[in-house]
Amino acid sequence: MSDMLRAPAEIKYADELDWLESIDDGPKPYSWRLSPKMVRLFILGSERADGLDRDVEQKWYGDRSFVERSIVTLASDRGLLLIGDPGTGKSWLAELLSAAISRNSTLVVQGTAGTTEDHIKYSWNVSMVIAKGQSRASMIPSPIMTAMEGGVIGRFEELTRSTSDVQDALISILSEKYVSIPELDTDNIVFAKPGFSIIATANSRDRGVNDLSSALKRRFNFVRIPVVTNKKSEAEIVRFRTEELLRRHNIELEVPPTLLDVLLQSFADLRAAAGAAGSDDEKLESALSTAEQIGVLEDAILHSNFFGATALNAETLAGSLVGSLARRSPEDLAILNKYWHGVVEPRSKENGGEWTGFLEGGRQAIATLS
Amino acid sequence: MSSPFDALRDQLLGAAEALGDGPAALPEILAGMVDDVDHALREPLEIFPVCHHSPASALAMVRRLREKQPKVIYLELCEDLTPLLTELRNCRLPVALQAFASELDGFPVESAPLSVIAPITEGSAEYQAIAYALETPGVELVLVDRSTDHVFQWQPGPSAEPGTEAPEEDLHGDAVGLEIGDLRPRFAELEEHLLHHGRVRHWSEWWDQYVEQPLAGADHDTYRQVMVLIGSLFRRLAPHDTARWDSDEDRERYMWTRIREHLATSGVDRADCMYVCGAFHAASRLAEVGSADGTPDFAITPRTGTKWLYGLIPSSHSAIEAQFGLAPGSVSIAAATWQKSLTKTRLTPFELAGQKGNRKKTRKALPPPAAGTAPADQLTGYLSGPPVLDGLDEEELRGWCVDIVRLARRSGYLASTADAIAIFETSILLAGLRGRARPTPYDFSDAAVTCIEKDVVPGRRDVRRLCEILLGGDRVGQVGYDALPPLARDVHDRLAPLGLNLEQRTIQRALLDLAAKPELAPCSQLLWMLRYLLPDQAVRPVIGSRRLGEKHLQESWDLDLGRHQRAVIELGYEGVTVEQVLEQRLRRAAWDPKATAAVALKAVEDSLLFLASPRLTDELGSRAVELLSTERTVDDAPVVLRRIRRLLAHYRSTAPALPGWCERFVTEGYAHYCTLLPTAFVDDEAGVRQVGAMLGFLFSMESLALSLGCDRTQLELAVIQSHPESPAKVALLWAARHQLGALPMPELRTRIDELLANPLVVPAFPQYVSGFVQALEPVPRLAPFVVETLSKAFARLPDPVLLPWLPTLITTLRDQAAELVPVLTREAGRTFPGTLAALDDWTPPWNARRVMPSAAGGAFAFLADQPATTDAVAELLGCPGDWPPPEPAGAAAPATLLTDFPETAAAVEVMLAGAGPTIRSTLLG
Repeated sequence: MSDMLRAPAEIKYADELDWLESIDDGPKPYSWRLSPKMVRLFILGSERADGLDRDVEQKWYGDRSFVERSIVTLASDRGLLLIGDPGTGKSWLAELLSAAISRNSTLVVQGTAGTTEDHIKYSWNVSMVIAKGQSRASMIPSPIMTAMEGGVIGRFEELTRSTSDVQDALISILSEKYVSIPELDTDNIVFAKPGFSIIATANSRDRGVNDLSSALKRRFNFVRIPVVTNKKSEAEIVRFRTEELLRRHNIELEVPPTLLDVLLQSFADLRAAAGAAGSDDEKLESALSTAEQIGVLEDAILHSNFFGATALNAETLAGSLVGSLARRSPEDLAILNKYWHGVVEPRSKENGGEWTGFLEGGRQAIATLS
Repeated sequence: MSSPFDALRDQLLGAAEALGDGPAALPEILAGMVDDVDHALREPLEIFPVCHHSPASALAMVRRLREKQPKVIYLELCEDLTPLLTELRNCRLPVALQAFASELDGFPVESAPLSVIAPITEGSAEYQAIAYALETPGVELVLVDRSTDHVFQWQPGPSAEPGTEAPEEDLHGDAVGLEIGDLRPRFAELEEHLLHHGRVRHWSEWWDQYVEQPLAGADHDTYRQVMVLIGSLFRRLAPHDTARWDSDEDRERYMWTRIREHLATSGVDRADCMYVCGAFHAASRLAEVGSADGTPDFAITPRTGTKWLYGLIPSSHSAIEAQFGLAPGSVSIAAATWQKSLTKTRLTPFELAGQKGNRKKTRKALPPPAAGTAPADQLTGYLSGPPVLDGLDEEELRGWCVDIVRLARRSGYLASTADAIAIFETSILLAGLRGRARPTPYDFSDAAVTCIEKDVVPGRRDVRRLCEILLGGDRVGQVGYDALPPLARDVHDRLAPLGLNLEQRTIQRALLDLAAKPELAPCSQLLWMLRYLLPDQAVRPVIGSRRLGEKHLQESWDLDLGRHQRAVIELGYEGVTVEQVLEQRLRRAAWDPKATAAVALKAVEDSLLFLASPRLTDELGSRAVELLSTERTVDDAPVVLRRIRRLLAHYRSTAPALPGWCERFVTEGYAHYCTLLPTAFVDDEAGVRQVGAMLGFLFSMESLALSLGCDRTQLELAVIQSHPESPAKVALLWAARHQLGALPMPELRTRIDELLANPLVVPAFPQYVSGFVQALEPVPRLAPFVVETLSKAFARLPDPVLLPWLPTLITTLRDQAAELVPVLTREAGRTFPGTLAALDDWTPPWNARRVMPSAAGGAFAFLADQPATTDAVAELLGCPGDWPPPEPAGAAAPATLLTDFPETAAAVEVMLAGAGPTIRSTLLG
C-alpha cells in the first residue's frame, strides 16, 4: 500500500507513463515527455484498433474534442482555462494533462480570496533575508515560477476566486514569459523554459465574482467542460471512481453492477423530479451531480467494509443515499419519502431484485432521521 | 460465372475466417457486399448510386453524363413532381419542390394540411441530372418514385411535431422531407462506432474524410463500386423489422415497376438509360428489382382522392440541415467544396438556362459519348489503403483565419491578428493530432472556437456559427416570379406601384402618401389584407392603423416579403386572390365549432375593413346573431358590447339605415341578455364586468331595441327577478334600478351612508364601490354619484380597510375599466376645486345640497300658486289629491335674505323689467 493518501497522477500512473514514453515515436513539442497523440491516448485510453501491447485505461470521460483542444492549446503559445460547473472533472483533466506532458502535476496554486501576488511570483524567507540579505537562495519561488524554471506545466485552480489584481499578475507571465525580481541586482530575471504553460480552472457558477480582465482572457484559450448528462458516460465515471476508491483503501468488497444501476436510476429520477419542481422547497438542496453520486457510493462502500459485510448491499446504499441527500428537515426528508413511496415502491414490486432491499433500507433510514 | 470481384471476395472471406471470434454472420456480410456490387454492375440498365449533398456524387454525375450521354434518366423522386422541374429555371437554388394538400380525402382530417418537400441544391447529383435532361434535346427525364400521395399512404401516422427552430431553419415549416440518396447508418451503434474510430464528431465529417474526399477525383468505375459497396454495407447492417425498411423495399419495387413500364412503352434501349438512385437502393437484391423481362411487378395502389397542389418554395442550407438532422454547416461546406472542386477539375457543370444566380456563359456542345468498358475491380484498391487526402492548402487556411477574426470582431469579440495566428497554428496542430495532413473545415472551426470563444458570447452569434457562415454561409434560395402561384404573382403585381424590390431579403420601407397619391390606396388595402393573413413580421405597419371610421392620409410599412416567400406561396394554395383567401378565412373563423358571437362580430368588422362585400358582411352578421342566441354564458359580453357599439356607430355614420342583421342582433341581444340577467347576477362565474356589460347592452341599445319592437317590461321584470348576493353585483343592481327609475338618487345616497355607518359592512364597502365603477358603463349619468361615493369612501373608511383596498382599486380600474377612468377623472375635475387655496373654502356638492331645500320649496310655492296645470295632470293620471298648506319658514328664508341685501334683487328687477308679472312674482317671492 502506498504511503500517500492520494498519489498524484504521475505517480499513480508512473508505469503506464514510462511505457508510453518508451514506445512514443511521435514528434514532441518543446520539452514534452509525450507526443500530443500519446497524451490523448493516456487520458482517453486505448482501443483495440490502436494495436498496443497493453491496455491503457480511460481516465477522463467526456468529449474527445475537449481533450484534443486542450492539448493543442498547451502546445501553442497560450494558457489553457478549463471552465465548467462544479463536479465536471476540470481539475482532474488538468492534473492528467500536466502528468502526461511534464510528469509533474503538483505545481499548483489554489486561488482563494486570500491569494496574493506572492503566491504567483515569489516571496522571501524572512530569516534568511535578515541573515544573508536578499539573494536567489533566500527567495521562495511560487509553483508557477518553479514551472517556468523547469519548462513544465503550472496549474492555477479556481482562478476566478482570486482577486482581479492577483489574476493580472499572470498577464506578464503568459505574454513575456519571464518574471523579474527587482529586489536583486543580478540574476534578477527568471525566464520560462520551453514547455512552460499554465492550466487554470474556473467554476462557471462563480462568474461575476472576480471577472477576468480582457487582457488576461486574451492570453487564455477557454475550453468549456459541460455537465455529464449521458447515462452511459456517467455509469463509466462512477465505476471508474469506485474501483479507484476500492484500490486506494485496499478494500476487498464486491460491488454488484446491478446496484450501480439502481444508484444511477435513482439519481436520474431525482434529477427529473428536481427539474419538474416549481419551487425550491419541492426539490432537494443537493445539486445531484456525478460527484455527489460518487460520494454516496463511497460512503456506502466504507460503511459496508468497516461494519462487516463482504458485499455492498442495497440497504446500505439506500441508507447512504438518504443520509447524504437529506440535508434539510423536513423538506428534503419529505421529498425523499415521497420518492420512496411513489417511485421506489412500485419499482420494487415490478422489478424486484435490488430494488426490494433498496426500498427497505431507504424506509428505515428515513424513519431514523424523521 | 467468373466475376472481376472473385479475388476480393476470397480475400474478404479469408479475413472473416481470420477473425475467428467475430460474429457468425461476418463472412456472409462481407461476401454479400461484394456480391451486391457485382450484381448492381451486371444490371444492363446503368444504376448510378448517389448520396445527398455530396459534391463527389455531383462531380461523378457530371463526368458520367458527359461520357455516356444517356437518352433517358430515371430519377428517384416522386413521380407527380415532374411538372415542377422545368420551373426550377425561374428560381435561385436552393429551393424545395413542394406538394401540399389541405382538402383531404382518404387521410385523417386532423392531419391536414399535408405537405411534402424535396429540396434541390446546386451541388447535387440530382440537379446535374435534371439540368442535363432538361437542357439536352431528345433526353427524357422520368421520375419513378412513389407519388406524394403514397408517401402519406405508407406513413404509419401523423408525425408532425411543433418545431422550435430559428427563423432561417424554419423555411420548410412542418413539411415531410424527402431526399434523394439518403445514406447514413440506420442504427446508432454503427454510426457511433464509425465516428469513434474515424476520430470525428459528426457523420458529415466522417463521410467527408472517408468517402467524399477519396472519391472526389475518382473515375466512374471506382465511384460506382465504392458507393454501391457503402450502400450495401448500410443495407446489410440496417434493422430489417422496421416500417422504414418495409417502405424502402416497396419503393424499390415501385421504382423498378415504373422503369419497366416505361421501357416497355417507349421501346428505348436499356443501354441508353441511366437510373439515378440512392446508394442504399442501388444495392437492392429484391426479386422485383431489375430491368429484365419477366421480373415480377409490384401492385401499385391507387392514389386517394386528396387534391394535391404543387409549387416551389425557397429553401436554405440551414433549413436542409435542420430537416434532415445534418451537422450544422455541412450543406454549406458541401456547396463550397463543390465550387472548389469545379475550379480544380475544370469541369463544366450542367445548368438550367435562365436560372437566377448563375453565370451567363455560352454552352459548348457535348463531346461524342465514349464507349463503355467492362468493369474491373476497383474496390480492392479503395479498401486496402487509408484515404488519400489533399495536402495542406496554406493559402486557403490563412484566408479562413483572417476572415474569421474579422467576422468575430464584427460580432463583438475582442479578436485580433494574434488570434488569427493562434487559429492557424491550432488548426494545424489539431489536424496533426487527428491524423490529417490538412485541417478540415471542422478542425478549423474547433481551432477558432478554442482561440476566440471566451466565457460569454458578446453578440447574437457564437464562433461556431460564424465559422459556418464563413465556410460557405447559409444560402437561401428564391422562387422566381414566373414559378410563383397566381396569388403570389398577383401580390407582386399589385404592389408594383410602390416601386420596391420585394424579392430582396431585407426589410423594405414603403411610404404611402395617400393624400398626394390616391392611386396607392389599393396597395394600402392589399397590405392590410396581407397583414391579416401573413405571419407577424412579413408586413408590419409603422405608421397607420385600420379601424372603423379611421382614414389615414399617410402610411408607412416595413415589408419583408422576400424572407417570407414561403408564407405567400402557401397562401397561394388556398386561393387565387388574396381576397378569396381572406373571405375563406373569415368564414372559417365564424363557422368554427368553437366560434362565439364576439368572434363572428370580429369577422364582420374585418370584412368591413378589408373586403367591401356587403353580402359577406351580412352573412357573417347573421351568423353572429345565430351564435348569440345559442350562447349560454356571458363571458364575452364586454367584447360583444364593444364590437356591436363600434359597428352601430359605423353604420349610423355611413349608411342611411341599419342593415337587417344589426337590427336582429340588437333585438335578439336585448331578449337574450334580459333572459340571462337574473342568472348572471347570482352566478359566481359571471364577473361584475360581464354583468356590467350586459346591462350596458340593455340600457345603451334600449331605445333602438324598443323602436324595433322590444318590450321594456321584459327588462324591468329581469331586474326585479335579480337577487345578487355579492356586494359588487348588488351595487350594479342598484344602479340598474336607479336607471329604471325604481331607486331615486336620495334613496341611493341614503343606502350608501347606511353602509358606511355600519361597521360590520364597512370591510365590504370597497366592493360596492367597484360595482358602482362598473355601473358607469350602463349608467353613465351616475358619474357624479360615483365620484361622491369614492370621496366618501376615502373620507370615512378606516385605514385598515382603505389602504389594502387602494392597490386593488387601481389595478381593477386599469385592467377592467380603463375606458371608464377618463370619465371619472373628468367628473372629479368638475367636482373638486382646481387650486389649493380654493380647497379651504370648498364644500362638497353632496353636502351643500342639503342646505338648499329652498329650490324645492320655491317650485312647490310656484305650483301651489298656479295649481291649474298640476291638477289637470293629476286628473289625467287618475291620482287626485289635495294641496298641503305652504311652509312658511321655507318661503320666509329667501325673503329675509333678499330684504337684507336688496341690491341684487333690484338689479334683476331692472333687467326683467319687460318680463311678465308671473315670472317676476316667482323670482321675488
